[in-house]
Amino acid sequence: MAKSTVKAVSGNTAAALGTALCSPDLIAAYPITPQSSVVEYLAQLVADGDISATMIQVESEHSAMSVVQGAAATGARVFTATSAQGLALMYEPYFRMSTLRFPMVMAVATREMTSPETVWSGQQDTMSVRDAGWIQVYCENNQEILDMVIQGYRLSEDKDVLLPVNVCYDGFFLSHLTERVEVPAQEDVNKFLPAYKPDHVAFDPKRPMAIDPLTPGNILIQYRAGHLAAMQRALTKLEKVDEEFASVFGRKWGGAIEEYRCEDADMVILTIGSMTGTARVAVDIAREKGLKLGLIKVRYMRPFPVEKIAKALEGKKAWAAVDRSVCFGWDTGPMYMEALAAATGNASSFSVIGGLGGADIALQDFAKVIETLVANKDKPGRHKTLWLEKPF
Amino acid sequence: MSYIDTIADNKDLVTPGMSACHGCGGELILRRLLKVAGPNTVICIPPGCMAGAGVVGWSFDNGLKVPVHITLLDNTAAFLSGVTNIYQRQGRTDVNMVAMAGDGATADCGFQSLSGAAERGEKMLYVCYDNEGYMNTGFQRSSTTNRGSRTSTTPVGSVIPGKPQHSKNLPYIMAMHNAEYVATASPAYMKDMIEKIEKGLAASKNGFAYLHIFSPCPTGWLHGPEVSIDVSRKAVQSDYFQLFEVDKGVWRQTVANKKPITLKEFVGPLKKYGHCSDADIAALQENIDARKSFLQKMIG
Amino acid sequence: MSKREFITPIGEEGIYILDTASWRAARPVMNKDKCIECGICLTMCPVNAILREGPKKYFISYDYCKGCGICAYECPKKAIDMVKEGGE
Repeated sequence: MAKSTVKAVSGNTAAALGTALCSPDLIAAYPITPQSSVVEYLAQLVADGDISATMIQVESEHSAMSVVQGAAATGARVFTATSAQGLALMYEPYFRMSTLRFPMVMAVATREMTSPETVWSGQQDTMSVRDAGWIQVYCENNQEILDMVIQGYRLSEDKDVLLPVNVCYDGFFLSHLTERVEVPAQEDVNKFLPAYKPDHVAFDPKRPMAIDPLTPGNILIQYRAGHLAAMQRALTKLEKVDEEFASVFGRKWGGAIEEYRCEDADMVILTIGSMTGTARVAVDIAREKGLKLGLIKVRYMRPFPVEKIAKALEGKKAWAAVDRSVCFGWDTGPMYMEALAAATGNASSFSVIGGLGGADIALQDFAKVIETLVANKDKPGRHKTLWLEKPF
Repeated sequence: MSYIDTIADNKDLVTPGMSACHGCGGELILRRLLKVAGPNTVICIPPGCMAGAGVVGWSFDNGLKVPVHITLLDNTAAFLSGVTNIYQRQGRTDVNMVAMAGDGATADCGFQSLSGAAERGEKMLYVCYDNEGYMNTGFQRSSTTNRGSRTSTTPVGSVIPGKPQHSKNLPYIMAMHNAEYVATASPAYMKDMIEKIEKGLAASKNGFAYLHIFSPCPTGWLHGPEVSIDVSRKAVQSDYFQLFEVDKGVWRQTVANKKPITLKEFVGPLKKYGHCSDADIAALQENIDARKSFLQKMIG
Repeated sequence: MSKREFITPIGEEGIYILDTASWRAARPVMNKDKCIECGICLTMCPVNAILREGPKKYFISYDYCKGCGICAYECPKKAIDMVKEGGE
């Protein structure tokens, strides 16, 4: 391994540094809080000639996704970043990016959806589009953001996958937090990430095809089945990519889920994103008090690691899943809902919703979760949702 | 090479059989556009009559002999921006970057991405075939539908007689984007139209080029298919649709109209205006006169 | 049945062609006694159904002609007649 550089950078800068190392051909973006500094940083790198990417400052997120779509159709490696309303605006070409099977990485500094009017953190934006065919990975810290951009391109461009990847990280909590980050050497990234050369599609007079002809249902269903199969292959691939990443860079993130102190645990908390750091401390404190508590960090929402989660929850007496977003139809958080669908048996479980609109999820909040877990421990089945309410 | 030679000798790059209606202006414009552009072209065609007529392909087949992508209704110029930038990076500037979109995909929901691409000076030729409404979905009104016109969403009723508003003058708006080349064309003036496609393609090597082409629609406008060209001619002769170009900011009327015919002679055969009173025609005339004097001022 | 992989939906196996000649209610017929071989009909045909042979000989191909009648209407010498398909 060549020498990496240690820097103190924000999550947005980490995303930009990771992107720069992947040498994209084209970047298109539109500013939105809290994502803006990702593309500002990249624009500076382009302006200084530090990276050779073509930078296109478009007039909306809808066009940002459309421009990168055109470039990807032409065989380019592309990047964009967004948040909340921007993601909502780009939904139309966003869905099409995955169903056209164009690989790319898009960073999302996750943010609560309006209304009420807000610009602060929350995962409602990406959770709301989790069935748009993209791979979605959620990060805990800035190092993970940088690493997942690099892993993201590798996974995305894998011929068995060919799906776009969202690298999601909590707006402000990570996007604007400065942390120590190891920036790998370019030669190592080049070794890990080969050049992208698509052969499944071309937009070129040398191979005059129609991209996306009108397609009747009997054929469309084959494309959908192929897409879902690729998503399932990604579940295995992402583990391999993580292992290979570890062999080059010496860091491993655990694949689709990371288990922390789970082996002998009878109670488990599921987390997603930056709250995981706090949850680790909460678990350590509980352990000191003699509680057999563990933690499952859910890293991928898409593909959803059904079997891994089922296995991790097997034999546990009680579990709770903490979401930073809601599932309107279930009176729960979305990650809880999906973990519940994955779980076998009838353990005691409940959904926890907190940290919406920039609210913090602090140690005392996890204390409340643990208290409820203990209270519900011997009462199997689903219990009512715990809201981590804040005084106002 | 005369314009007739261009049309006669160049290869037809469109499927010989597409499901455009009898006398369709869009089909004529697409076939002429690709005769001029040739095989070294990529084209984006959003949903609309042309896409619906099958030229964007069906199942596993293409509908053209050049690469085509059916863009979203509202992202044609943005998608093509991504394509053209990669071609420029690769130094393949010989490949023609072409879009052909209807007025809905151009003047309405596609306008934002169009305006953005024009402002950035993206190297492409964007052609709008303006049939003054959403003809592919059954002739609903668009912002280029003219005042008084009957459409399926501006029906003629006892209270509201057709579309109450004047049309948006898109070519003028596009001319204000510092584009490399902007022009209007009519299939009735084929030599002028072919020349403008040639100029537009040449201009697209340096920046953004835009062509706004009058596209008669027998099915929606309710006239016989055989008079499509005649309708296109009368639109110009009555000054309803003026032929001009803006070449690097210099305005020029390309077809002078010394002896204009009356507006009634143009709208007469079009049943979409069949219910219009003299006052309705006068209101339309007023707007046409304002456009005429604007063009004269720009020509100077 | 296609052997292709279902990744990106693409069309490159052939050209999609509709039999538009079957739409035709009337066919254009050139009267070469009147025709001056000016080529106007060729330039105005939306289907590209009028072709040129050699430097100046125009003819109609009926393979895809929809019978719209533009050529007959636009002919400056009225040298094209629309004749009902199937006969009277």
